[in-house]
Amino acid sequence: MDGLISPILLYSGCIVGALGVCLALPRRGLSPQIIGALVFALAFGILMVGLGIKAPKAGLPNFNFYLFAIIALGSSLRVISHPRPVYAALYFILTILASAGMYVLLSAEFMAFALVIVYAGAILITYLFVIMLATETPTADQVEALADFDRYSREPAMATVVGFVLVAGMTTLMATGVPGAQPLNTGTTTAADLNELPRRVETSLRSAGLIGIDEHIAGDEAGHQSLDLAPSEGPARVRVTYGQGRTREITADDARWPRDLQLTNIEGIGFSLLRDNPGSIEVAGVILLMAMLGSVVLAQKKVELDEAAKLAAQNRSLASTLTLDNSPLMARTIPGAPNVREADVRVGQNPGGAA
Amino acid sequence: MNDALLTLAQAGFPAPMSQATLMHYLVVSALMFGMGLIGFLTRRNLIIMFLCTELMFQAAGIALIAFSRFHLNHTGETFVIFVLTIAAAEAAMALALVVLLFRRKETLDASSWMQMKG
Repeated sequence: MDGLISPILLYSGCIVGALGVCLALPRRGLSPQIIGALVFALAFGILMVGLGIKAPKAGLPNFNFYLFAIIALGSSLRVISHPRPVYAALYFILTILASAGMYVLLSAEFMAFALVIVYAGAILITYLFVIMLATETPTADQVEALADFDRYSREPAMATVVGFVLVAGMTTLMATGVPGAQPLNTGTTTAADLNELPRRVETSLRSAGLIGIDEHIAGDEAGHQSLDLAPSEGPARVRVTYGQGRTREITADDARWPRDLQLTNIEGIGFSLLRDNPGSIEVAGVILLMAMLGSVVLAQKKVELDEAAKLAAQNRSLASTLTLDNSPLMARTIPGAPNVREADVRVGQNPGGAA
Repeated sequence: MNDALLTLAQAGFPAPMSQATLMHYLVVSALMFGMGLIGFLTRRNLIIMFLCTELMFQAAGIALIAFSRFHLNHTGETFVIFVLTIAAAEAAMALALVVLLFRRKETLDASSWMQMKG
């Protein structure tokens, strides 16, 4: 692990980080949250310096990485230390946005957008709704009061030690395991996959001006592929047809050959997802269906109410049956005849005004 | 080397990433995971506890994407789609449970369910 980070800096970073998180967690009496956040930032700085001095100049990540990492870690510290649940959820959205930024830096554009849409757009909104649904009613004198269980954390020192022992273990294993790993393209998507996308190749070639309006990519003939973008030898070539069955061949040696004729991130994920793992999609669909059924069943379940709530519920249901029976839409009335039932209801609801 | 890069680019992959860069992302992911764990252990609000599990999912997602980028393999990114699926399913179920528990005791305090410890 000496090749990636010196153990002294790694472990001192973990210890300082544990101290910072422990200080930042809310507790009874004096809780120096800002000092804790600063100490945690110092720990992050120690770790990054430790990684940076060992890394070759070309091995350092993009500058934006540090920006996104600071935002993500700072807001996740705030998620676990903010006493108000709504703010914690909003800080979690900030964490999600910063991680989406890191995904873009890792050239996973599709996952970055999926993350923002699914996590920040759907899951976190569900969380916010539940926070609003399941909040204790504030009393008249203390509208802004926080519950005790939100204000104080449980066993902050113990939990921080456990958490950072885990972090130290994980980073040690990562640093010792990584030098053996070689960057290796074991992926199943290759340049040959473009052969399966003739329409896209045609559009790309047409916008490059290589083929005209009335020319199209020829269909495959026996023993002769018309699209060969990853040939075993020679340049990539495409056979196009024009006029009455006449064909010509374009190769990558042409100066106008589009440089961006390559699989994009989304196409790569599409091949990996739909061609290589079709069964997993079915499993994911079943899991989502089960979750939907489960939450519908759970949410429908009747809970026991105490006496006062029972009485109030009874009154509410009584009132609703009354208005339903006597509403002009439900009553059988003869056109032109005076609407007796409606008048009865008005008198019945308003006994004081009938006199 | 240039030919290899061009082949990679045609298969939809950027230039390879160094081990040092990978380690940067892994350290961030480990710190975020540890933070989620600490939050899960220290917070007593049921909703925040589930939010902290989402934080751990997120940390795992960053590690998966970083490894996917390092090995130039789309499978890691594909797996993050399934992580998102599981997170959505978990959020739906867990939040329905939280609402049910809240309606029974009128509080979100996890320690009010202490007797379930046995």
